[in-house]
Amino acid sequence: MNPARWDAIVIGADVNGLVAAHYLARAGRRVLLVDPRAAPEPRADVGWVPPEIIRELKLPAPGLAGNQHDPWIAAPLDGGGRLELRRDIGASVEQIRRISPADAAKWPEFCARMRRLAGVLEALYVQPAPDVETREIGELLRMGRLGLRVRRLGKQTVIDLLRILPMSIAELLDDWFGNDTLKGVLGAAGVWHLRQGPRAGGTAFNFLHHHVGSPAGVFRPPRSTITTVLAAMPGVEIRWGTEAAVVAVGGRATGVRMGSDEYSAAIVISSADPQQTFEPLKAQLDAEFVRAVGNIKSRSIVARGRVKLERPADYTVLCLAPSLDHLERAHDDAKYGRTSARPYVEAVATDGRLDLHVQYAVSIDGTLVEKVAAALGVPGDQVRLDPPAGHLYHGELTLDQILFMRPVPGWSRYRTPIEGLYLCGPGTHPGGGIAGAAGRNAARVILKET
Amino acid sequence: MPATYDAIVIGGGHNGLVTAAYLARARKKVLVLEKRPRVGGAAVTEEIFPGFKFTMFSYVVSLLRPEIIRDLDLPRHGLHVLPLESTVTPMENGDYLAAWGDHDETRRELHRHSPRDAEAYDEYGRLMHHMAHAVRPILGMVPPDPTSFDPRDLLALLRLGSHFRGLGAERLHALVKLMTMSSADFLDEWFETDVLKATKSASGIIGTFLGPRSPGTAYVLLHHYMGELDGVFRAWGFAKGGTGAVSEAIASAARGFGAEIRCDAPVARVLVKGGRATGVALENGDEFSAKVVVSGLDPRRTFLELVEERELPSDFVSDIRRFKFRGSSGKVNVALDALPSFTCMPGVGRQHRGAFSISPSLDYVERAYDDAKYGEFSRRPYMDIVFPSMIDPGMAPPGKHVMSVFVQYAPYNLNGGWNDTKREAFGDAVIDTIESFAPGLKSHILHRQVLTPADIERITGLTEGNIFQGELSLHQLFFMRPAAGWAKFRTPVRAYYQCGAGTHPGGGIMGASGRLAALAILGDGA
Repeated sequence: MNPARWDAIVIGADVNGLVAAHYLARAGRRVLLVDPRAAPEPRADVGWVPPEIIRELKLPAPGLAGNQHDPWIAAPLDGGGRLELRRDIGASVEQIRRISPADAAKWPEFCARMRRLAGVLEALYVQPAPDVETREIGELLRMGRLGLRVRRLGKQTVIDLLRILPMSIAELLDDWFGNDTLKGVLGAAGVWHLRQGPRAGGTAFNFLHHHVGSPAGVFRPPRSTITTVLAAMPGVEIRWGTEAAVVAVGGRATGVRMGSDEYSAAIVISSADPQQTFEPLKAQLDAEFVRAVGNIKSRSIVARGRVKLERPADYTVLCLAPSLDHLERAHDDAKYGRTSARPYVEAVATDGRLDLHVQYAVSIDGTLVEKVAAALGVPGDQVRLDPPAGHLYHGELTLDQILFMRPVPGWSRYRTPIEGLYLCGPGTHPGGGIAGAAGRNAARVILKET
Repeated sequence: MPATYDAIVIGGGHNGLVTAAYLARARKKVLVLEKRPRVGGAAVTEEIFPGFKFTMFSYVVSLLRPEIIRDLDLPRHGLHVLPLESTVTPMENGDYLAAWGDHDETRRELHRHSPRDAEAYDEYGRLMHHMAHAVRPILGMVPPDPTSFDPRDLLALLRLGSHFRGLGAERLHALVKLMTMSSADFLDEWFETDVLKATKSASGIIGTFLGPRSPGTAYVLLHHYMGELDGVFRAWGFAKGGTGAVSEAIASAARGFGAEIRCDAPVARVLVKGGRATGVALENGDEFSAKVVVSGLDPRRTFLELVEERELPSDFVSDIRRFKFRGSSGKVNVALDALPSFTCMPGVGRQHRGAFSISPSLDYVERAYDDAKYGEFSRRPYMDIVFPSMIDPGMAPPGKHVMSVFVQYAPYNLNGGWNDTKREAFGDAVIDTIESFAPGLKSHILHRQVLTPADIERITGLTEGNIFQGELSLHQLFFMRPAAGWAKFRTPVRAYYQCGAGTHPGGGIMGASGRLAALAILGDGA
């Protein structure tokens, strides 16, 4: 066993691991970050970077912001041409007017109402989930303050929150709009990374979750380069290409095993999938906890991939989800364990390539690749789809797996039953699609406790 | 002109009757107006074919609140509940899954399918029992208004919060899961036997336009579990004489307290003067005045048909317009010259004293939903089949039987709309499916009556044929039922109240809405 050169070892150099590591380092802790991957992936980070992180870690803001595509989405129209929605609400109104004047008239109000709700989520996301079981006066006060803050937003917002969060995205959109293309584009955000169709309750929440951090009228998560920025920042030692597992003795974390070496540290923080993190520790955990971890729903249904482009795309982001029914039928296949006969495909054009999101994909095969190629109008041999490798969010964002229920009920505060072991990944509150909030929340809890 | 009545109740369904009975019990002068020739609404027993009596729509009893049975002394008025003893689910492979009245026998049966599930079954039962207890106080409370700054609302919200916190972590978490998950996902955490999960999940889809894999159905599962509480019925049961006998018992109690009940008296509109309800006008033009008017009809009829839109705030009108009904269930009533024999359990026996659940697998039920989702009735539907004449021989002529089939899914908005041909095609799908599990059934059929959601709407007035007066989805429950800010049985029109299942806590032959409405009216000093 090597002597304790580190106060804390963080497993996983993704955005949350990096953020947690840097917060600890900034507080004077010696931190080692390990990651099984050979090198950082050049992929853009999807999701809101809370401004608190940019401020507190003194990150170069220009490297992080301004990466939102505009138009943020384009969708083919039946009669040819495309519906292009922009950041500018007025410009989007003009676009929507061509397909539905009634929908265009409702767009500004819809955008404003959704933005207010996303704002409530943002406030909830930059702190640990409310602890509904607490008897501590401080925590009760914090919850009270949150409650007051929501109520000050007015009666309509309170009603919207109570009514919309448990709804299905289809019901929400049907309340507002009539046009299928528009509802398809918006509805797709409601089922992102969920093994649910747009008629499933809770998909309206998923829609708002992915609106967090975006300006009013933009219903795709913002993108940034925060991982690249943090990985290049001094203060944290990073080792790539090292498989790491938590080592615990008698219910207490003592360090990390990497290959044949063991490194000791009083604190171990994992941004890996909770199910994966706890797998080697089962013998030291009680049966109830093991059962709860086993019950985490993390059914991967998205295939991600790339297309090498010969000539630049004439769009920024293309959404192929022509209607809510299209999404629902795509999901029907997944319900019975099949890949969608007609999947929902979204392509983001960046640096001469397309980044792909294909849903619902249970497995990858030649047929799926051909289908995606045909849908995008590119040669099949240019399409690469990665085999699904676990759920990107380490747990679906369904209503029973958020806030104090995430990652497992009663353990939402980044602590675990293994003393000294903490979680900080997307499997914890506030979940995936938010860049770094879980890492920051976890680091703050750890710094307070140790 | 002084009001003739203290209160007029529109609609003689079980909730309207409960409200009337409680008001009359408090010495109010009450008039109930029912459009049909008999009281009961969707809880009626009718002799559809000579000698064969059917509980036309609803068919089992268990949710009726015990305090109502006690307060109104319903057994004295003829309420007699006979237990429904078992549930048998025929499987596609010829096997079956059975749950019997005897707990040990059920465990042995489960053990045959999966020793692990037999183990989990008791623990699951305990959890659901605790959950039902945890929710029970909610059923008996007027929902507070979360948007109000009234100290009484704030206090009620705080109390509610401390009630939930008082449950302890484990039960609180289970409750959150029940409120948000799909019944399939929830049951997946407990059991491995598919046919068990399918049969259990079926009570999570009843009355909803959702499949067992749709989030929100776990709550409906719990809603139906309430029936197994209190030691009053212990299980689902039949009312002797059909569910109509429940309505008749409540009506008899109401009359006993002095209420007046008029049938064949359809109400055309509520009379409103200066923002205050003053009485009602019947379709034949007769008018009655009252200090208070109470509607037991569903929210759409209560607000969009009985009163003028200008009497209501526009926000409220749009909330009511988007309140979801989406009727999804049908009913097939069959007169038989002999009981059918099911392949999985041949012959005629004690199994016919209970229910047959046509839910052989989760995928089967889910596919039934898929059909309806796109506007067709299920080609192979989920069904709950009972033979009331086996429990109460008075329902059919000697030696003959009645079979009551509750069917899902039959969407109200069928592609191309419902007509006689579609209705019969739907009836054929039902009978053909049962025949596949019970060959020979068809040869025993003397008559059949097929009721689609459109028929249920036409006959009972329930909008879109929804048997719960509005879906029991999370955003239509508690302080959102029927609309945020108007869940306390009052309405934007003064002296006009609502008491139907479209208010908290919702459907089933429960009577809780009717009772809470009456208490709210009395509390307002009417």
